[in-house]
Amino acid sequence: MIRPVSGASFQALAEKLERRFDSGPRADWPRAEFGELALQAFAIQFQHIPAYRAFCEGRGRTPDRVERWEDTPPVPSEAFKALQLYAGDEQRPEAVFLTSGTTQGPTERGRHFVPRLELYRRALLGPFKEHVLTARGRMRFISLVPSPAELPDSSLSFMVGAAAEALATETHWLVDGSGSLDLDALRGVTRRASHAREPVLILGTALALLNALERLEGEPLSPLPAGSRIMETGGFKGAGRDVTRVDLYRSLAEATGVPAQRIVSEYGMTELLSQLYEPVLSEGPGAVGTHVPPPWLKVRALDPLTLEELPSGEEGLLCFFDLANAGSVSHVLTEDVGSVAKGRVRLAGRAQGAEPRGCSLAMDELMAAAKSA
Amino acid sequence: MTTPFEALATPPGFVPRDGVAGAEGIMALCDALKASRAALAERDAAELADALGRIGERFLDPGDPLRREALALLPASSGLSAEMATEVLDGMAADWTGPRLGALLESELGDATVLDAFVRRQGDASVPGSRVMAVGPSLCVQIVAGSVPGVGVTALLRSLLVKGPTLLKPGRGDTVLPRLFARGLAEADRALAAALAVVYWRGGNPALESAALAFADVVTAYGSDGTVADLRSRAPVTARFVPYHHRVSVGVVGREALTDAAAPRTAADVARAVALFDQRGCVSPQLLYVEEGGECSCAGFAEALGVALSDLERTLPTGPLDGAAASALHQARGVAELTAGSEGSHARSRIIHGGAAPWTVLLETSPEGAPGRFPPVGRVARVRPVARLDALPALLAPLSPHLQTVGVAGLGARLDDFARALGQLGAVRVAPFSAVPFPPPWWHHDGGGPLRDLLRFVDLEA
Repeated sequence: MIRPVSGASFQALAEKLERRFDSGPRADWPRAEFGELALQAFAIQFQHIPAYRAFCEGRGRTPDRVERWEDTPPVPSEAFKALQLYAGDEQRPEAVFLTSGTTQGPTERGRHFVPRLELYRRALLGPFKEHVLTARGRMRFISLVPSPAELPDSSLSFMVGAAAEALATETHWLVDGSGSLDLDALRGVTRRASHAREPVLILGTALALLNALERLEGEPLSPLPAGSRIMETGGFKGAGRDVTRVDLYRSLAEATGVPAQRIVSEYGMTELLSQLYEPVLSEGPGAVGTHVPPPWLKVRALDPLTLEELPSGEEGLLCFFDLANAGSVSHVLTEDVGSVAKGRVRLAGRAQGAEPRGCSLAMDELMAAAKSA
Repeated sequence: MTTPFEALATPPGFVPRDGVAGAEGIMALCDALKASRAALAERDAAELADALGRIGERFLDPGDPLRREALALLPASSGLSAEMATEVLDGMAADWTGPRLGALLESELGDATVLDAFVRRQGDASVPGSRVMAVGPSLCVQIVAGSVPGVGVTALLRSLLVKGPTLLKPGRGDTVLPRLFARGLAEADRALAAALAVVYWRGGNPALESAALAFADVVTAYGSDGTVADLRSRAPVTARFVPYHHRVSVGVVGREALTDAAAPRTAADVARAVALFDQRGCVSPQLLYVEEGGECSCAGFAEALGVALSDLERTLPTGPLDGAAASALHQARGVAELTAGSEGSHARSRIIHGGAAPWTVLLETSPEGAPGRFPPVGRVARVRPVARLDALPALLAPLSPHLQTVGVAGLGARLDDFARALGQLGAVRVAPFSAVPFPPPWWHHDGGGPLRDLLRFVDLEA
């Protein structure tokens, strides 16, 4: 196998990937093809990110020695907070996306430096079309995600913006950058859609959808016509997700007239430029509970202790190799917990930090205390 | 609505009212405990030490069912490995024997009969005829947090030794030993057992805590600064409050312990001090300052420490990690490794770790500033080089309100001056690393007298 070890160019690889992504999420990707592209991405990242190079060298996992993408060292997702992981040749990043603050407190936010937004755009459009719009083609978007103009550092806003530009007949941005919902506009646009019998797509994070439901105060929207759908994202991290999911979807169905089985869950994170979807519209209700990645994103569940790959169906830490991340790092170890079977993910939650212990103060806490004293 | 608690051990003869497991149950229990005081007051302190010691000694006897049961239950309840649980029990129970409790009385009070009657004030010739008696609490409520087994029994022994009826709320990972101790006591000495109750509730239960606090005239509180501050604010103003808030311990390795001949032994002692209790103890060193200029460099010592921690995984393995802790450890190790790699070859920051074995050595480049973030998972030794040991008091000053044990090696003739400076700063104990995990029973726990802090002294003037 011949692959460029030095002088590899991110731009050249990105152009190749974009053309390939255009063949859509149902395209057949032979194992060898993914493997070869993955090792090319790895070689570029090894070459351009000194910290990652040292990390790989320390493990003896260098491009001249690694034969399988699975053997490239995964970078912990927390590293996006501490380091600039940027493999985009010499030019400046076109965007820097920030992770949201987590429930663990106002810790620093992770930064994803993106050298080429076009690669992100081409990675997101196909799966969005396949799993959210399905055969429907273009339709009206009602976005409870703030627009990219309002939140330029949000990868989710960029995604919805790119999808809207390519695939919406019209887009209603109903939540501003501070998270405030224009409820009158929501009632208005859904009423008109209802009268016109025009199916619509509502997009929002689980939190934004919950907030909208609260604002409705039990008074439902005009029932949306058949063919309408909702894309929900970010609702499955944390304990008790089943209750949350069932309750949220039931409430959404009651408030909008969109049946629960037409609510599509998207699973993504700022650290990854590809997304997974629960393919309930593209495949039917039998797909509930699983998220499917596009063929350029591979996912494995790893043993939390040994980081060995687990057998199919066993729960562990989710570890991704994302070709759309060619310009940063592709192999990312997350704190999300789930199982993988036939390439699909069943999410279980999130490994939420470590509990403090004993009577000795954790160093972090102590130093924080010392500084504030 | 009642709030449930779990009565792990109640005094013999105590009958809880039907189904009452909330604040009212605690109040009834406190009443029963207080009623036991009169019988306790009739007994000599020295005799109590023997009676308590007879139960404590059972935890050391390999053939004793009490010890066997303790060892069977400890790993699951404490999260320690079976090997570590045995090590911890041996270390803790060594101080629960009659002779050690007698020595504690003598060290704290000189003449233990001061607990029994008025005695002449020791060495006080200027007030002829003036006498003194020491009175223990009518009810000592001890609220303990944490998961270091043995802390609860040590606590209850102190208050019972000074004739104080005791309500103990042990830490979540320390429920086994106090319960077994109370059971052993009930079998051997009903009168004494009547003065002890062990109840458990999840920490931070204001209704139950307030019910117990209202009856106490001495309160001891172990836990985070926040927990202790909260309990202090709710204890009666008339009660003696003994705070054991959060603490941090450190270690200092001087040149004399870094000769090629001595360094492996030093590293083994330091590793053991770090590893004991899986580093959950307030005595467990978190930061290690290594003097530069010895035969073994700071980096060399960090490597030796890694070897020693790796060896300890065979003899005293770390308890099992849950997925969240393991995940946090992988994330933090990866970030530390990547960060070290981004510093370039001139930097000396490094991370050495055990892979699937959860020990980690973080070699830092400077003794100054806040250490990098790292979760408290497994055993984590942060090694920092220091050029001159006399700079250490200034470096440790930010920790001074929480500073507890300072483990030392290789300070030679500098030890006294160094210990004096650290003592001025706030440290309460300077000890060789080999002694760090298990302070003797008479140690000045967080700077106070373990028995004297519980006592009220009564002067009878001539």
